[in-house]
Amino acid sequence: MSVKLFLVTFAVVLPLTGCANLGVEPWQRNVLAKPEMQLISDPISAGLDDHIYFSKEASSGGRGFAGGGCGCN
Amino acid sequence: MNDRPVRLIAADSYWIGSFEAMASPCELFMEVDDEAQAKRLLNIAAHEAWRIESKFSRYLNDNPVHLINNSGGKPVEVDEEVAQLLDFARFCWQLSDGLFDITSGVLRRIWCFDGGNQLPSPQQVEQILPLVGWHKLTWARPCLTLPKGMEIDFGGIGKEYAVDRTLQLLQQQTDRALLINYGGDICTGGIRLTNQPWSVGIENPSHPDTPKGVLKISRGALATSGDTRRYLLHNGKRYGHLLNPKTGWPIDASLRSATVAAATCTEAGLLATLALLQGPEAEAFLQIQSVQYWLTP
Amino acid sequence: MQLKKPKKIRHALTAATCGLLGVNCSDSLGEEGDWSFDSAVLYYSEVDRVTAVEPVISATRDFGEEKALNLKFVFDTLSGASANGATPSDQPQTFTRPSGKGVYTASAEETPLDDTFRDNRFALSSRWEQPINRDYKTAFGVNFSTEYDYSSLSANANLSRDFIKRNTTLNAGLSLAYDTVSPEGDIPIGLSSMVIDNGQADYRSEFNASRGDSEDNKDTLDLIFGLTQVIDRKTIMQVSYSFSDVSGYLTDPFKIVSVVGEDGRPLEYRYEQRPDARQKQSLYWQVKHQFETDILDLSYRYFWDDWGITSHTIDLRYRWMLDGRQYLEPHIRYYDQSEADFYRRFFIQDESLPDHVSADYRLGNMQALTIGMRYGVALRNEQELSLRLEYYLQSNDNTESVIPGILNDMELYPDVEALIVQLSYKF
Repeated sequence: MSVKLFLVTFAVVLPLTGCANLGVEPWQRNVLAKPEMQLISDPISAGLDDHIYFSKEASSGGRGFAGGGCGCN
Repeated sequence: MNDRPVRLIAADSYWIGSFEAMASPCELFMEVDDEAQAKRLLNIAAHEAWRIESKFSRYLNDNPVHLINNSGGKPVEVDEEVAQLLDFARFCWQLSDGLFDITSGVLRRIWCFDGGNQLPSPQQVEQILPLVGWHKLTWARPCLTLPKGMEIDFGGIGKEYAVDRTLQLLQQQTDRALLINYGGDICTGGIRLTNQPWSVGIENPSHPDTPKGVLKISRGALATSGDTRRYLLHNGKRYGHLLNPKTGWPIDASLRSATVAAATCTEAGLLATLALLQGPEAEAFLQIQSVQYWLTP
Repeated sequence: MQLKKPKKIRHALTAATCGLLGVNCSDSLGEEGDWSFDSAVLYYSEVDRVTAVEPVISATRDFGEEKALNLKFVFDTLSGASANGATPSDQPQTFTRPSGKGVYTASAEETPLDDTFRDNRFALSSRWEQPINRDYKTAFGVNFSTEYDYSSLSANANLSRDFIKRNTTLNAGLSLAYDTVSPEGDIPIGLSSMVIDNGQADYRSEFNASRGDSEDNKDTLDLIFGLTQVIDRKTIMQVSYSFSDVSGYLTDPFKIVSVVGEDGRPLEYRYEQRPDARQKQSLYWQVKHQFETDILDLSYRYFWDDWGITSHTIDLRYRWMLDGRQYLEPHIRYYDQSEADFYRRFFIQDESLPDHVSADYRLGNMQALTIGMRYGVALRNEQELSLRLEYYLQSNDNTESVIPGILNDMELYPDVEALIVQLSYKF
C-alpha cells in the first residue's frame, strides 16, 4: 500500500512543483494546437482499442472511463 | 509614435473609443459600465495596435522588419513573435501554392496602383521577379536569411493579427461584450447584454463613403480583402492591386473585394486574401471552405 | 492562369491561426453549422476463434463557442468460438450448450471451445460539450448498447478547469452505468455441475435445476481525476487516476471450470462463480512530444483491483512523417497482468471448492504483446484515410502447483493470436 501511495504522490506532485518553469505562452501553441498532438488524436481508434482490450484482458480504463457496456467480459 | 491621441465617447449602451493606427481609423466598442474601465481598455488596445504597427511596419526604421530588409544577405535573429508570424507566413505560402508570399512587396516598386494608367514594361517585371519568392529565403528558426535586394512585408497579415491580439488582451480584463474594428477588420468578444448582434456596414467600392449593406455579427470576426481605391486602368482594363508573385503581374481579378466571416480576424483575412488570389475561382474557393462571405464585383 | 481547382484549406488554416494566436482550437476545429464525420471499419480475427467486424461512424457538429455535439454509432458483429474454461483431455468431451438445447464437443487434446457465439451489438453514444466560462468546461454523455443477451445504459458528466494560461488543466468525471444480462437458457447457478444430456429421462428438469433467474444486473460507478500539463512548446503530459466500483452479476454465464481426477481426466464441469463486487483503480500517465515533424506518444498504466489483479500496460507509438501528407506509425504495446485470487485452471477431485472460482484465461497470469503499423494519408479537401495492421499475441503462465496425469501432456495455456485490420476515413 505504501508503494502505491508513493506512486500517486510522485506522479501528481512532480508536474505541480515543476509548474514554475513549465508551460508556454499563448502564442507558442502552434505545435500543441495541431489535431495530431491532442492526447487522444484519433478517438475512433482509441474507442475500438479500448473495446478489444476490455474484452480480452482483465484491466480497463485509465485514459477514460473503465465501464464497458458490453457483455464480452 | 506610441502616444497618439485616443478618444472616448459614450453611446446608448456602450463606449466607443477611437484612435489611429496602421494608417487606418481604429474603433473599439465596449459594453462596460464605467468610464474608467472603458478608458483603461481603450489604452490597452491602442498601445497594442501601436506596438504591432511599430514592430512590423516596413515604413519604420528601427524594427525587426527594417533590420531584415536591410540585412544585406546576412542572417538576422528574430524574436518569438516575429518567428511565429514567419512560420505562419510560410504556412500560408505553402497552403496557397505560392500565391500568398510576404516577399512580393518589391513588385510595388514597378506597379503603382494610384488609379493611373501606367503599366510597367515586361522587361521591368523580368528584372524584379528574381527578388520575389519565399523559397529563395532561408528561414531556420530563429534566424532568417534574406538574399540581398529582397524584402518582406507583413502588410497582408498585420492588421488582422493586431485585431486578434487586441481582443485577447482585452478579454483578459473583461468578460463584457466588445467589438474591435481596425480599418474594416473586425472581431467581437463576449455576449452583448441585450443578446443582440452588432451591426456592421459594408462599404460600397464605387462610393466608399456610403454604407452598402449592414451585416449582423454576434461573435467571431470579419475581414475584407481587396482595396476599392487601389487599382490601375490601362486601355480600359482594370488591374487590381493584388499581384501574382510567380508572374509579377496582377491577378486577373473579377472581384474588387471579398469579406469573410470566421472565428478569428486573422483567419477571415487570410481566407479573403487567398480567395482573391484565386482570380476567377474566388467564389468557388470560398464555397468550398464553407464560410460565410460577401463579394463585391 | 489558375487552372487548378480550388482546394479546401479551411481546417489547416484554422489550426495555423489558432497556433499563431495561441488559442486552443482543438474543440473548435469543425465548422459551425456543419457536420464532420469520422468513420472506420475494424476487422478482428483470432486464429481458430472469434472473428469480429465492427463498423463505426461518428458525426460531430460544431455550434461555435466551443459547443459541440458528437454522435457515435457502432455496429459489431461477432462470430466464432471462445475457450469455455474446461481443460483439454485425451478423449473427446461433450458440453451442454448454454441454452440447454443440444451439445457441443471438443475432440481429444483440443482446447474446449464454445462455438455458440454469434452476436450482433449496436451501440449509440452521444456527447455534448459546453464551456461555462473562459476557464470551466463541461461535457455530458449518454451511451446505450444492446446485443442479443446484454444491454447497457450509461450516463456521464465531466468538468474541467484551465489554469495558468491554459497550461494546466484539471478534470473530474463521473459515469454511472446500468447493465442487464439475460443469457439464453437463463443464468446458471454458480458452482453447480453442468448437466449433460446422455439420454436420461429427466434431463430437462435436471438442467432447469442448474439454472437461476432469467436475467441479472450490474451497476457501475466510474470516477476519473486527471491533470494535463503543457511542458513546453512540443510536449504535453497527462496523469490521471480512475476508480471504478462494479457490483451485481460479474460472472460469465458461459464459462466453466473442470474438476479432474487424479489421472487428469475430467469428472465434471462446474459453472464459474465470481464475486458480486469489484473495485478497480488505475493510474495512467501519457506524454506526447513532437520532434522536428515526427510525434512520439508514450503511455503507461498501472492497474489494480480487489480481485488481486494488478497489471502494467506500456504503449508506444511513433508517427513518422514521410512528407507533409503521409505518415507511417509503428505501434507497440506490452501488457502484463497477475491472476485473480480465485482464478484456477482446474480443480482436482476431493479439493474443496471455494466460494469463487473462474478458469477464464482472461483472469489468469497473462502477458500480451501488440505490434502494429499504421499508414495515413491526407487527401484533398481535408479528408484523411488511414490503414492499420496489428498483430496481437496473448500468452498465459501456469500457476497450478500440481498438474495431474494426462494434463501434463495437454496444452493448458494455448496462446491466443489475433490479427487487427482497421481502415479509417475522415470526411
